[in-house]
Amino acid sequence: MNTFKPLPACVQITFAALVAALTAGGLTLTVCSAEPLSDSQAANTNSAPAQTPGATNTVPSAVKHQLTGAELYSIHCNRCHAERYPTERTAANWKTIMLHMQVRANIPGQQARLILQYLQENSGR
Amino acid sequence: MFGPGIAVATLLVALPSVSPAEVSDADFNALKEAVQKLSEQVQSLKQTNQLVQQAHEKDQVQIRQLQEQLAETQELATNAVQKSEAAAQAAAQPMPRVPIDEATVNHNFQMLGDAEFQYVNADHQNGAFLLADFAPIFLYRGGDHILFEAGFDTTIANNAPNGSDYNTTFNLSFAQLDYVMNDYLTLCVGDMLLPLGTYSERGAGWLNKIPDDPLAVDALLPGSGVGAQVRGAVPMGDAGKLFNYSLYCVNGPGSADGTGDAGALDLGGNVGLRSDGVVANLHNSPGGGGRLAVFLPFPYQPRYDLELGVSAEASQWDNAGNHLWMAGVLDASLHLGPNLEVKGEYIATRYGSDDLGTINQRGWWLQAGYKLAGLHLDWPGINNLEVLGRYDSLQDGLGTTTERYTVGCVYYVTTALLLEGDYEFINSSDPTQPSNQLILQVSYGF
Repeated sequence: MNTFKPLPACVQITFAALVAALTAGGLTLTVCSAEPLSDSQAANTNSAPAQTPGATNTVPSAVKHQLTGAELYSIHCNRCHAERYPTERTAANWKTIMLHMQVRANIPGQQARLILQYLQENSGR
Repeated sequence: MFGPGIAVATLLVALPSVSPAEVSDADFNALKEAVQKLSEQVQSLKQTNQLVQQAHEKDQVQIRQLQEQLAETQELATNAVQKSEAAAQAAAQPMPRVPIDEATVNHNFQMLGDAEFQYVNADHQNGAFLLADFAPIFLYRGGDHILFEAGFDTTIANNAPNGSDYNTTFNLSFAQLDYVMNDYLTLCVGDMLLPLGTYSERGAGWLNKIPDDPLAVDALLPGSGVGAQVRGAVPMGDAGKLFNYSLYCVNGPGSADGTGDAGALDLGGNVGLRSDGVVANLHNSPGGGGRLAVFLPFPYQPRYDLELGVSAEASQWDNAGNHLWMAGVLDASLHLGPNLEVKGEYIATRYGSDDLGTINQRGWWLQAGYKLAGLHLDWPGINNLEVLGRYDSLQDGLGTTTERYTVGCVYYVTTALLLEGDYEFINSSDPTQPSNQLILQVSYGF
């Protein structure tokens, strides 16, 4: 009968420590180097701005930020693979590829169209 | 007065008288001959001069012709220089965009895919170069809403130890027709990549940064199935959050020998056409499954996102239809910036059998990768490196347990050309498994 012998505890602990250090170090570096929202981005959040004394009791509606094609491209197009440059393909090629990606990555149609527009405008050919 | 006259007379008398020259015949003839010779020479010189004149005139004509040709050549060279300068100027300027003519690009055929080449050195085995895979994906877009896509795998393998030479296998990975019905709903039919977890759909080939697939994915899950599927995504708010869904109906796994013995489970195959020509599922009823997931990008921070999903499938698997096969997968993926990625899946399956009763299988894998560009070091090549680690385990329910620790790295020559290397520490109750192995891989996505 085959017996399963786990690796020595020291090896397991060492590997786990390496993975934990990698994750923690990456997290720390990533969080510490994350850029804070710019003023324009902060203004576009859904939080209402603070009221000044003496102002009327009306709160202006929050400005909704519509994601642009470039932003959607940076959100979706490196989740599974490194980003591909728009100049790699022609505008017609991107149309076919984006249909494939819309299905494979489950991207809503409107977002896919914005990404496609961004790719086609920057393909240069 | 007579003096000068007398002097002249005296002089005349004193001077010897000049008598007319006497020329002999011989002298005359000689002179005549000389004159004749001179005349002949003059004649010859005249002729020579005439010839020289003619040659000179020919040379003049030729010179004029050459001058004309030279003028033409210079004109051509000038035109070529002007054209070259014009072309260089045109090339320096961006091409004006031409509106896409849908009539000409409506039927768009394209090939994507990936190719991998490996070197493997496993413990207790000989190191060897491998043509691992050439996997083209063909896309055919029939309009704005219809896409046909098919993927293939081409591999070569030795006929040895039973024979010489080698054989080439050419497998169909998937072939599906996609119809985008609206922004939120797509119908897929055919031999589809199944949304059990995310690895089968999004982690294969060059997308996988570690040369090996996770143990549990290969051993416990069908990568594809023949059937129909509806899938889509629904936005949740304006910040990019999505709710993803996939629901499908497929033939389901089959039995390699038709029996319900535990070892006969065949996760692939069962495509609806039997080897005896009968069009039928190998067992009675089709199976079904689906995946529900949420994709949560951090607000207005691209490349910061979390995806959580749960998927399942259930189907009969033996020809008699007596036993059920079920699978469930929990998947998660986390990106913290462009440099850090952590993802994993927990997979559990269960199926009934004639000989061993209920077989419970489980496995999981967790993979982390960090791109060293995040360290902001000014070292050559470091910005193209990513270090990776993966732990995966598998309990096959038939007595074999395997766990594997993998450390590796990827060097991105370009975003699509990857040099990968990993070292795997393998611990398995299966004695045929090596205890460790080194894999080097070149992977290219196109």
